[in-house]
Amino acid sequence: MAESEWSGLMAAAQAGNGGAYRRLLEEVRVWLCRYYGRRLPPSMIDDAAQDTLIAIHQKRHTYDSSRPFVAWLAAIARYKWIDRLREMKRHSTEALPEDIHVEGHETTVITATILETLLGQLKPAQSTAIRLVKIHGLSVEEAATRTGQSVSLVKVNIHRGLAKLAGLVEKEDPAHG
Amino acid sequence: MDDFMAGLVADLKPVRRRRPAVEAVVVAALFAAELALWLLTDNARENLVQVAMTTPTFWWKLASAGVLTVIGCAAALSSLNPAGSPRRGLVAFGVGCIVFLIIGAGLDWSLGLTNLAARLPLSAGLDCLSYLVPLSLPPLVALGFLMRRGAATDLPGTALACGLAAAGWGAFVFVFTCPHDDPLFVAIWYPVAVGITALLARLVLPLVSRW
Repeated sequence: MAESEWSGLMAAAQAGNGGAYRRLLEEVRVWLCRYYGRRLPPSMIDDAAQDTLIAIHQKRHTYDSSRPFVAWLAAIARYKWIDRLREMKRHSTEALPEDIHVEGHETTVITATILETLLGQLKPAQSTAIRLVKIHGLSVEEAATRTGQSVSLVKVNIHRGLAKLAGLVEKEDPAHG
Repeated sequence: MDDFMAGLVADLKPVRRRRPAVEAVVVAALFAAELALWLLTDNARENLVQVAMTTPTFWWKLASAGVLTVIGCAAALSSLNPAGSPRRGLVAFGVGCIVFLIIGAGLDWSLGLTNLAARLPLSAGLDCLSYLVPLSLPPLVALGFLMRRGAATDLPGTALACGLAAAGWGAFVFVFTCPHDDPLFVAIWYPVAVGITALLARLVLPLVSRW
């Protein structure tokens, strides 16, 4: 759908047009799933998209129809992406089930590439801890045994590494988001 | 997901679009009201017209605080749109501070850095802070309210811009009361007050503006 069409739909939604709003949300949801599909593990995509749709709903008055809609949307999506990265830092890790459904490899490869690029900018001990615990689903204790780091050091490395990741994403030019 | 989308659509109400120009006018009006109230309640320096306004230091203080307030407000308001960023404005604020400090240093070279204890009395400095910081709070609340209503995506940066703008205005109002005409006193104690307000904003506003 054309940028100007989205912009027009949002302007109509701001005026209270429910039909235009529904159409816009459906289009935007597809865009968001694609956006987060390149940046988050598959299990987090739906939640992130839903979160962002709520944010769009709450902050729809901040859209200025004389400006590009996608830039506005991408900025919100990026903000929520950073939120997700921070959340990963706060919450304890759960092991992934063995029979987890994987839809396709293309998205996974792109996600992995972006993540690898970001992880490559961390200290090796931090990126290893994040890889083992947050991506491969090992417990902190298992990661400690595997890396030779103490349990508390693994936790510190994950905490600092994820904080740095969020910082790196924040510094990244939103236009490239 | 369908129920979820239906919920959002059912909750749709017409909204008044955010207008940065209107926000700027409202902020300017509130700031002006604070200044008017301050002066009408007899807080102006006694020799304001006869002495203070004849010194270059007074105009330097007023111009510095005024220009920095405008830069801070522009940085804050432009970053309330998700696609906006306060970073350029914050850099401009920093450059502005340096420029005004250099101009201040040029106002009175005769004393240099001599007799510092007498020129920078702690009690007078604390007295200055006790006015400057509270005077910055009403503009900070106003900007904080706008930040909460907006959609800043760089919460720490926007909060800092709000704090600096509010501190700038607090300084602007205080210039009419401040009895100190030594640029060195101003160059030391005013930035301390600005720093306290900016730190307060940086710590508190992101907590109340998350979305």
